[in-house]
Amino acid sequence: MADEDVSPQSSYHRNAIKTSVHNTSAQRRRQLAVAVGKERREALIRTKRLCREALFDDNEASLEGNMNIDEERAVLNAQASQIIEDLKSAMTYQGKGAAQKKVEALRALRRLLSKSEIPPVKAALQAGAVPLLVQCLSFGSPDEQLLEAAWCLTNIAAGEPEETKSLVPALPLLVAHLGEKSSVPVAEQCAWALGNVAGEGDELRNILLAQGALLPLARLMMSDKGSTARTASWALSNLIKGPQPNAATELIRIKGVLDAIIQHLRNLDDELATEVAWVIVYLSALSEAAVRLLVKSDVVHLLVGKLASSESLQLLIPVLRSLGNLVAADSYMTDMVLVVGHNTTDQILLGLIKCLKSEHRVLKKEAAWVLSNIAAGSVGHKELIFSSEATPLMIHLLSSAPFDIRKEVAYTLGNLCVAPAKNAEQPSIIVHHLVALVNRECISAFIHLVRSADIQSAKLGLQFLELVMRGMPNGEGPKLVEREDGIDAMERFQFHENEEMRSMANGLVDKYFGEDYGLDE
Amino acid sequence: MAMEVTQILLNAQSVDGSIRKHAEESLKQFQEQNLSAFLLSLSNELVSNEKPVDSRKLAGLVLKNALDAKEQHRKSELAQRWLSLDIAVKAQVKACLLQTLASPVPDARSTASQVIAKIAGIELPQKLWPELIGSLLSNIHQLQPHVKQATLETLGYLCEEVSPQVVDQDQVNKILTAVVQGMNASEGSSDVRLAATRALYNALGFAQANFSNDMERDYIMRVVCEATLSQEVKIRQSAFECLVAISSTYYDKLASYMQDIFTITAKAVREDEEPVALQAIEFWSSICDEEIDILDEYGGDFTADSDIPCYYFIKQALPALVPMLLETLLKQEEDQDQDEGAWNLAMAGGTCLGLVARTVGDDIVPLVMPFIEENITKPDWRQREAATYAFGSILEGPSPDKLTPIVHVALSFMLTALMNDPNNHVKDTTAWTLGRIFEFLHGSTVETPIITPENCQQILTVLLQSMKDVPNVAEKACGALYFLAQGYEDVGAASPLSPFYQNIIQALLTVTRREDAGESRLRTAAYETLNEIVRCSTDETAPIVMQLVPVIMMELHQTLEAQKLSSDEREKQNELQGLLCGCLQVIIQKLGAAETTKYGFMQYTDQIMDLFLRVFACRNATVHEEAMLAIGALAYATGTNFLKYMQGFYPYLEMGLQNFEEYQVCAITVGVVGDLCRALEDKILPFCDGIMTQLLKDLSSNQLHRSVKPPIFSCFGDIALAIGENFEKYLIYAMPMLQSAAELSAHAVADDDDILEYTNQLRNGILEAYSGILQGFKSSPKTQLLMPYAYHILQFIDTLYSEKDMDDAVMKTAIGVLGDLADTLGSHVGPLINQSVSSKGFLEECLSSDDGLIKESADWAKLAISRAVSG
Repeated sequence: MADEDVSPQSSYHRNAIKTSVHNTSAQRRRQLAVAVGKERREALIRTKRLCREALFDDNEASLEGNMNIDEERAVLNAQASQIIEDLKSAMTYQGKGAAQKKVEALRALRRLLSKSEIPPVKAALQAGAVPLLVQCLSFGSPDEQLLEAAWCLTNIAAGEPEETKSLVPALPLLVAHLGEKSSVPVAEQCAWALGNVAGEGDELRNILLAQGALLPLARLMMSDKGSTARTASWALSNLIKGPQPNAATELIRIKGVLDAIIQHLRNLDDELATEVAWVIVYLSALSEAAVRLLVKSDVVHLLVGKLASSESLQLLIPVLRSLGNLVAADSYMTDMVLVVGHNTTDQILLGLIKCLKSEHRVLKKEAAWVLSNIAAGSVGHKELIFSSEATPLMIHLLSSAPFDIRKEVAYTLGNLCVAPAKNAEQPSIIVHHLVALVNRECISAFIHLVRSADIQSAKLGLQFLELVMRGMPNGEGPKLVEREDGIDAMERFQFHENEEMRSMANGLVDKYFGEDYGLDE
Repeated sequence: MAMEVTQILLNAQSVDGSIRKHAEESLKQFQEQNLSAFLLSLSNELVSNEKPVDSRKLAGLVLKNALDAKEQHRKSELAQRWLSLDIAVKAQVKACLLQTLASPVPDARSTASQVIAKIAGIELPQKLWPELIGSLLSNIHQLQPHVKQATLETLGYLCEEVSPQVVDQDQVNKILTAVVQGMNASEGSSDVRLAATRALYNALGFAQANFSNDMERDYIMRVVCEATLSQEVKIRQSAFECLVAISSTYYDKLASYMQDIFTITAKAVREDEEPVALQAIEFWSSICDEEIDILDEYGGDFTADSDIPCYYFIKQALPALVPMLLETLLKQEEDQDQDEGAWNLAMAGGTCLGLVARTVGDDIVPLVMPFIEENITKPDWRQREAATYAFGSILEGPSPDKLTPIVHVALSFMLTALMNDPNNHVKDTTAWTLGRIFEFLHGSTVETPIITPENCQQILTVLLQSMKDVPNVAEKACGALYFLAQGYEDVGAASPLSPFYQNIIQALLTVTRREDAGESRLRTAAYETLNEIVRCSTDETAPIVMQLVPVIMMELHQTLEAQKLSSDEREKQNELQGLLCGCLQVIIQKLGAAETTKYGFMQYTDQIMDLFLRVFACRNATVHEEAMLAIGALAYATGTNFLKYMQGFYPYLEMGLQNFEEYQVCAITVGVVGDLCRALEDKILPFCDGIMTQLLKDLSSNQLHRSVKPPIFSCFGDIALAIGENFEKYLIYAMPMLQSAAELSAHAVADDDDILEYTNQLRNGILEAYSGILQGFKSSPKTQLLMPYAYHILQFIDTLYSEKDMDDAVMKTAIGVLGDLADTLGSHVGPLINQSVSSKGFLEECLSSDDGLIKESADWAKLAISRAVSG
């Protein structure tokens, strides 16, 4: 029985101060064993966290301490020279473990060039890194050596323009290792290096194109491996940047490229889609041939799908720009693809509205630009946009957004008020759109544009004022413009150096505020 | 429906084993076949005054066992069964129980009290049996003292069973009124008074509101203090127990009573019988506990504050309290050193003195020194022992500055006493005091060293010599050596112990082989001390540790050869195996950690593993546990080479993971899975299906002790880190479990420290799992698989941040997970992270943390997030 007539407490007492050592020691031994596991777990997590591909970790060094920058630079430079010396001696060493020695020296160099915020690229170049690295890239070298050498070159190429240019002797071998006989990591690393080189400028781009970098990179882009396709796409987008359109045209004509683009856009990998979208940006911006192929392919639907569904800023920017390029370049887009009533059209509009609402300036601007191109389409397009949420958003942006967005928005709003021009006639006005905008006090915002130092914007403003004065019912227009100080804004152009603007402004003032103005009242 | 069960119940208490067994079987069957009838029959038996006392008592006990069990799972099962019974049956059982309270037979009443409390414990939280307290209170006004006594006893048990929240304040007031009235000196029956005093002990937790009211508190305190002066020793003891409970529950309300309480306790300590005097000392120990906690919080860097102010009662009472405690030290029992569970006035007094020293620090030294000086050389061993004990007790608390000069003088005296004192008690306490000196005043953090190259040899000579003394003295000498060695753990290359290293190890091995090493846990102490010596070995002495490996292996081998053991011998063999496995664990850790020794050690690993597997085959929980720990160490030492042992070891690993009953074994095994993951990396893959199955089973079992759950979650992370994207197939099982545990732990109402601590352990485990999984998938083409969980993980971190009750460990892990999320999922989670409050407020808070580890994780997270957000 529980109740033995004892007090509830008396069987229990606290631990005596005088105890035997075994009570605590065994406990401590176990805790130590558990602590070892815990420490090792933390160490492992820490290593994994710091172990990023070096290509991404140029920020890493900001963590690394408080050493004075000059001191740090001096230390790093010394390390670079030392490692190059090590590499040199490893190259000549023929004994046991020679290959390993080379790889170790290369790895040390790669780490040094990628770990720090101020990589000692210059010191490495002065110490003669490039010829050594070129030597390491020679055919038949072990993969690990190729990989490390290409990686070093990648990091050098990411440096200052002069440093990038120093890679020229290495380019033929880097291009060669893109080929099908190379292992995937090596090819991918070479693509990185070449992407960095191509990104430097058109001089280096032309060299690369002349050396035949386009075809192997295009082949790499067709890879099923996400990271390979991504890297290749990125390198290609740098390579076809122009300004000459030949490379873009050549690329789209390579068999399988368009299919690969479509396939990658279907993939759920946003990072891959982002790089591919940049390829489309340059294809659509530079090559008419590419535009013709693209607008008739699935690419448009896929881009619109990404636009509607993605939240990634990185992806949305090239998607928007591609779509804008395509709409601007070929009327096939508004006539045949983005037909009013089609699902794709509704989707693109929703996507653009999402971007107009976004926090990011670039997204807003790009979206407004795409919208202005669509707004230049048929009356049906104008009505669709006008009746959507986009219009109030744009009216708001017209008065509140930064200048570049305001300008894009003004284009669009202006386009909404005029019907497509037939022949050479003056375009006819869609009066109810114009009235609605005026009623929502858009005039002052456009007059603001008229006063802008940017000629294009001023012209946009003037064009809108023309619409108002010509199109507002009952001849109300001039009065409305006058009330917002529009005359003063236009008169500023009386002696403007730009002749077109001068005659446009003067013509408007003469026509609507000439001698007869005010006599009616 | 009820059956006659008298005879079965009497048979169940028969001296004849077979009759007893048969009766127990029939009771069990009855319970299983018809619970309602079973309970009715038992309650009928209990209530019938014409039945024999023995059968009634057992009826009550069986009834109680049908309602309650120690094991949590079983307990709630029984409660559910009771709740699902027919309402009329329950009413009838309750009626019988309440009626029994009026029985003239004391045993029947008392048993009924306990059963009523058990039912109340089940029903009151469900808002059932609302009339219970009312009907009990109406009994109080009965004239018959025995009914009153039984009712108060019932109220006491009820307060023990039920949590204060389920009883409303009005009823609490009535219970307390009834209880305090029953304690009053005007109460004629001392049985009633005793029952009331014991009931108050349990009811104190309900009296929060009443203790906040000056008048009510004054009244309760007056009645309790009066009861400490009762004629009845049991009432006095019980009243002091109430004071102890009050001291910890209502510390901040005691100021105006302390003067009186001191007078009462001092008188009790000096004059009263031992059980009462022990409680009086306990009152002061308990006040020390409170003040140590409060002062700890004052001194802690986190809040630098405490909810409750310190009233410095101990400091104020010091001049009178210390002499009172010192007197108790002279009241030793003859054989207390041989009896591990002994507890008497001298032990309680010394323990309290040690707490006082920790509470007041330096102030205690001048009050104790005269007592030591006066008694340490007296011819009566009691005086010498008491003086030594007093010295040993005050070594933790006062500053080294204060103690070091005294210890310098005392040290050689102590060493001489340990060698030469004729009395074993004195030697025992002297060795213990030396251990305390080394524990608190020796080590790399102490500025003025107590041990110098000059006295080191002398100390070691004395300690090694004492290890040949009687077992209890030898055991204390081992303890002193343990702390001496611990002080040299991080001394580096040139340890002062090195010249004596071989001798020390030899002496300890000799102790482990003493015939009488089983007494006073001498063998255990010797092995643990040996472990400590191994731990503090240096490059210089590592070869000696290496020589120890085959020695310990041989000892372990011999335990495995012994055959046909009695159960007693088997238990001793198992204990020895545990000690030897423990020793090997420490050796493996030590030798495996340094490159210089690792290579040489590897020659033994095959044989060691073989021994461990044979130990497992003996199947005993404690051995299992120690061998398991040792295997964790072996895995680190061997790395991927451990793979060759996996086939043989895996069955035992699984067995350990299934050991629900001995949850420590299960927890240690879970830890070993983590060790294996780190050692084998992706080579553990073939075993993961089995391991994950067991872990998931463990988690979904409600039998498993909750403390194992956090390590299981961490273990998910370990596995994912090891096998990377291969963790894919476990995601659909592991993620929902993590998610639901995360939800529970995020909002856990942690109103007591233990629950909060557990909750934080759980959070930490969950977060470690997330970290491991995210980092495991990093740079894999399958990272997208984790996207669906990102939102929840962020939400979990956000909630933790807004709850504001996470500890530093959780904070560090949580900010790390935020970084891992950004690191692994990159720009895909950029917008999500931007929306979360954690990415701003929490990150800021961690970036400005004083804790270097938190800051480091936060810096990293910031970098990862900025990459993810900007691309």
